[in-house]
Amino acid sequence: MGFLSAFASWLGMKKKDVNVVVLGLDNSGKTTIITKLKPAEARTQDIVPTVGFNVEKFQTKALAFTAFDMSGQGRYRNLWEHYYRECHGVIFVIDSSDKLRMMVAKDELTLMLENADIKMKRIPILFFANKMDVRDSLSSVKCSNMLELEKIRDKPWHICNSNALTGEGLEEGINWLTDQVKDILTQKKK
Amino acid sequence: MMKRDKKEEEEGGANPFYNLEKSSVLQEARTFNETPINTRKCCHILTKILYLINQGEHIGTMEATETFFAMTKLFQSKDLTLRRMVYLCIKEMAYIAEDVIIVTSCLTKDMTGREDQFRAPAIRALCRITDTTMLQSIERYMKQAIVDKVHSVSSAALTSSLHLAKTSPDVVKRWVNEAQEAVNSDNIMVQHHALGLLYHIRKNDKLAVTKLVNKYTRHSLKSPYAYCLLIRIACKLLEEDNAGPMFEFIESCLRHKSEMVIYEAAHAIVNMKNTTAKELAPAVSVLQLFCSSPKPTLRFAAVRTLNKVAMKHPAAVTACNLDLENLITDVNRSIATLAITTLLKTGSESSVDRLMKQISSFMSEISDEFKIVVVQAIRSLCLKFPRKHSIMMTFLSSMLRDEGGFEYKRAIVDTIIGILEENSEAKEAGLAHLCEFIEDCEHTVLATRILHLLGKEGPRTPQPAKYIRFIYNRVILEDAPVRAAAVSALAKFGAHCDELLPSIMVLLQRVQLDMDDEVRDRATFYLNILAQHQKALNSAFILNSLQVSIVGLERALHHYTMEPTETPFDLKSVPLATQPLQELSKPIMEASSGPKSTEKAAASRQDVYAEQLASVPELANLGPLFKSSSLPVELTESETEYMVRCIKHTFPHHLVFQFDCTNTLNDQVLENVTVQMENTDDFEVIRSVPAASLVYEKPGTTYTLVRLPEDPTQVTTTFTCTLKFIVKDCDPNTGEADEEGYEDEYVLEDLEVTVSDHVQKVVKPNFAASWEEVGASNELEDTYALASMKSIDEAVKSIIQFMGLQACERSDKVPDDKSSHTLYLAGVFRGGHDVLVRAKLAFSEGVTMQITVRSTDAYASEVLASAVG
Ligand SMILES: Nc1nc2c(ncn2[C@@H]2O[C@H](COP(=O)(O)OP(=O)(O)OP(=O)(O)O)[C@@H](O)[C@H]2O)c(=O)[nH]1
Ligand SMILES: Nc1nc2c(ncn2[C@@H]2O[C@H](COP(=O)(O)OP(=O)(O)OP(=O)(O)O)[C@@H](O)[C@H]2O)c(=O)[nH]1
Ligand SMILES: [Mg+2]
Ligand SMILES: [Mg+2]
Repeated sequence: MGFLSAFASWLGMKKKDVNVVVLGLDNSGKTTIITKLKPAEARTQDIVPTVGFNVEKFQTKALAFTAFDMSGQGRYRNLWEHYYRECHGVIFVIDSSDKLRMMVAKDELTLMLENADIKMKRIPILFFANKMDVRDSLSSVKCSNMLELEKIRDKPWHICNSNALTGEGLEEGINWLTDQVKDILTQKKK
Repeated sequence: MMKRDKKEEEEGGANPFYNLEKSSVLQEARTFNETPINTRKCCHILTKILYLINQGEHIGTMEATETFFAMTKLFQSKDLTLRRMVYLCIKEMAYIAEDVIIVTSCLTKDMTGREDQFRAPAIRALCRITDTTMLQSIERYMKQAIVDKVHSVSSAALTSSLHLAKTSPDVVKRWVNEAQEAVNSDNIMVQHHALGLLYHIRKNDKLAVTKLVNKYTRHSLKSPYAYCLLIRIACKLLEEDNAGPMFEFIESCLRHKSEMVIYEAAHAIVNMKNTTAKELAPAVSVLQLFCSSPKPTLRFAAVRTLNKVAMKHPAAVTACNLDLENLITDVNRSIATLAITTLLKTGSESSVDRLMKQISSFMSEISDEFKIVVVQAIRSLCLKFPRKHSIMMTFLSSMLRDEGGFEYKRAIVDTIIGILEENSEAKEAGLAHLCEFIEDCEHTVLATRILHLLGKEGPRTPQPAKYIRFIYNRVILEDAPVRAAAVSALAKFGAHCDELLPSIMVLLQRVQLDMDDEVRDRATFYLNILAQHQKALNSAFILNSLQVSIVGLERALHHYTMEPTETPFDLKSVPLATQPLQELSKPIMEASSGPKSTEKAAASRQDVYAEQLASVPELANLGPLFKSSSLPVELTESETEYMVRCIKHTFPHHLVFQFDCTNTLNDQVLENVTVQMENTDDFEVIRSVPAASLVYEKPGTTYTLVRLPEDPTQVTTTFTCTLKFIVKDCDPNTGEADEEGYEDEYVLEDLEVTVSDHVQKVVKPNFAASWEEVGASNELEDTYALASMKSIDEAVKSIIQFMGLQACERSDKVPDDKSSHTLYLAGVFRGGHDVLVRAKLAFSEGVTMQITVRSTDAYASEVLASAVG
């Protein structure tokens, strides 16, 4: 631990560590999004389909995030649940240009929401309707309708359009998530 | 028991992990899920898990998987030590937990990342969790890593590739260019590992290996390790065929500047199968030089190598005698022991006493391992100088009395038994020492073994009575397995010596009050048999016990109980115990030590065949499998298009020929493969079971079923065989075959059925008793002149091989100076009839043989008696 951060934590200024899981079908752009959220110098090589998961860290103004970027390929999706228990939030990435598989995404979402470790907790879910730059991609409202997000009543959720290649839309989403997680943490303290 | 407790206490004091509980450690592992991560604590828990796994603790799949997934969360910590502990645990748990591929991306990231300390261990862990299907996805990274400029990374990738080659040889083969590049590395380890991989990839292509060796012997390698490997490869090539340049290369290494390489070359040369004295000399002088090196490792290596080859090249080793004498007093006792035992092996009879005295002066200072070396030296000495056996026996018995572990004690007991079996003069002294030893022997295995030996040998000594007390003491003092063995030994005395029978009966009656079921049952059983006073019963049930395969007996009894029937169980339907193959050929020098001979495989080879054959519906209902031929017969020349070898299975009225076929052409697929055999001599071919398809290098099996002739004396014939099949051409790369094929055939060598296919070897520990038991009712006798035999020894070997019977009473060993000899053979003929053969051989310009055959079946006698003619 460097001197400054040690000093900061002594002052009670150290950023709180929180965990999020990043879910979504394969090729939806999860790894691309998380990489974009890291400072430019910390980004590693090329992005390839994830096998299993990756752990990445990035910071916002108030929080230090540890993101478990899961693999979206079919045969690995049943492994997501191993990472639900300790998470403070979920980032669910949708490929808004992939209309064909929107129903698959919906099924996975439902499964996740019904998992015992998620169901009991009031944790925020952030949806990225990613790849907004692709022609004919669906708007966030359209995505929201197709996934029937309005049916999620017991958890705060938010959806925004994003382009992971440029970073457009990511800040808005992450700011929302930061605020939500912070709220929940302070409520817990009380 | 007392001893063990004390030991445990000591261990407990020194080992902080002593008494770890698996369940509580796995409970603790849930800490991994907590954030923030407590690095120190997690490292400690990982250490505990590693400890448990390495102690052989069984961890179930469910709990292992849970722990594994908890552990994956530790990837969020960047701590160097913690991460490396995680790699270790991943490797250990790779085969116990499920879905371990979950860490693939994490490890891939580490192996290509910026932290060099992570890269090599990440590669090793990644390769452990990756199977053939996943390997494609990391192939690119592996290729890069092999040629990485960081040595540890390159080495890790190369060694991991070697491991991967076991499961995915085809993928690893594609990395040959990278391996080739890595051989040029200026790091000695990378060069060594790269050469290892390169060799492994080309191992099966002899031409390529030759090229490889030729290439690297010319451009001299920098790494001495790589040089040593090259020497080993060259040796292998030499073993296969004597190529001149390879030997020259190895010899030139004797002049290399690295001692390691010089030693490797010398070691290689002295261990070669066929070397002339001239070839050997330079290697031996190198070892001789090392004997006086100031470095103990070199002295040790040299003297150990000389020790190993002392029996093979006594003359060459004697040349070093002076140097060895100097090493007798070496401060390093291991070196001294090896020096003395080498001298013992090669020295003259007169030096034995001096050397033995020398070695006894420090026996107490050396470890068990080296004490075993001494025991082995004594054993070979006894063979060389039979007259010295009394000194040796005394020495061995004093060693038996000293402290020492199980392996050491077993080596001594093995040696004593070996000596007394070889040398009848040593028998009584040997038995006496062993009797004394079992008076205070903590090893059940050794005690039961010695009791068995006493039962076998004791009754036939001049004074059998003196062993009874030693044996009966065991019945009073020991635990159940030893008591049971002692009871069996007592019964043998009763069965063989009439004068002892009344006392034995009394002793056995007392044993009937034993607490243990097995001991009591044995006593009751033997008492009842002995009470009949019938030699035949004694021989069949006490002196020469059951010969059936235990696994086979279990299966037959199970089968019998499944189907209720009026007929009593027929012991003849149980397959016989097959003789362990090494029985006759085991060289006496290395008979002791090593765990290999202790545990017998539960199911013998034949039991395995029986099961395989029973699963083929076309071959069901043939009755019990009587015999499977031990060595397969090659029906094709080596390195032809197709390889076919045959194993013959004998059933009560049928023969099944199992043809194991391999297709060595990668551009053909064979389908519906059968071996066609023609009816001959009343042997009737009933049907074939085809192999559906034979693809390149994947062996397949086809069977042919033949009914034996009605005439029970007609047992031998010769079959002509033809391989028949449909050929389809295929693409060598994809293995995709054409739709259309055509019929073709391939002529195989003729296949013989001989007398030995109808008999099974059986040991009769007491041949004379069996001879009486079977009796003279079906006795046949004949005399032959075996003009072509040049010695009795040669005649004995060929008779044994021809008849396929077991030599008993060590009668297969012909004393050198005798001009007459009697060979005792025993076996069981197809159908379960005992056959015994006594062949009296005399030598004077050719061998004359008087052969007497006894059997419980007249036809079996006839077949065996006419077999030689
Ligand atoms: N056009 C466009 N392409 C994107 C966008 N985000 C990601 N991609 C591309 O989509 C592909 C898949 O991105 P990844 O980040 O590997 O997807 P993932 O969700 O991590 O996939 P898995 O790891 O297999 O589950 C890559 O080729 C990205 O370059 C985006 O916003 N717009
Ligand atoms: N069994 C067998 N293998 C051979 C024979 N000739 C060459 N090989 C093997 O085929 C492989 C290629 O041999 P090379 O001599 O390197 O082939 P090349 O044509 O020079 O290949 P380039 O180096 O690409 O030019 C090596 O593994 C050789 O051992 C042969 O007649 N029989
Ligand atoms: Mg990904
Ligand atoms: Mg070439």
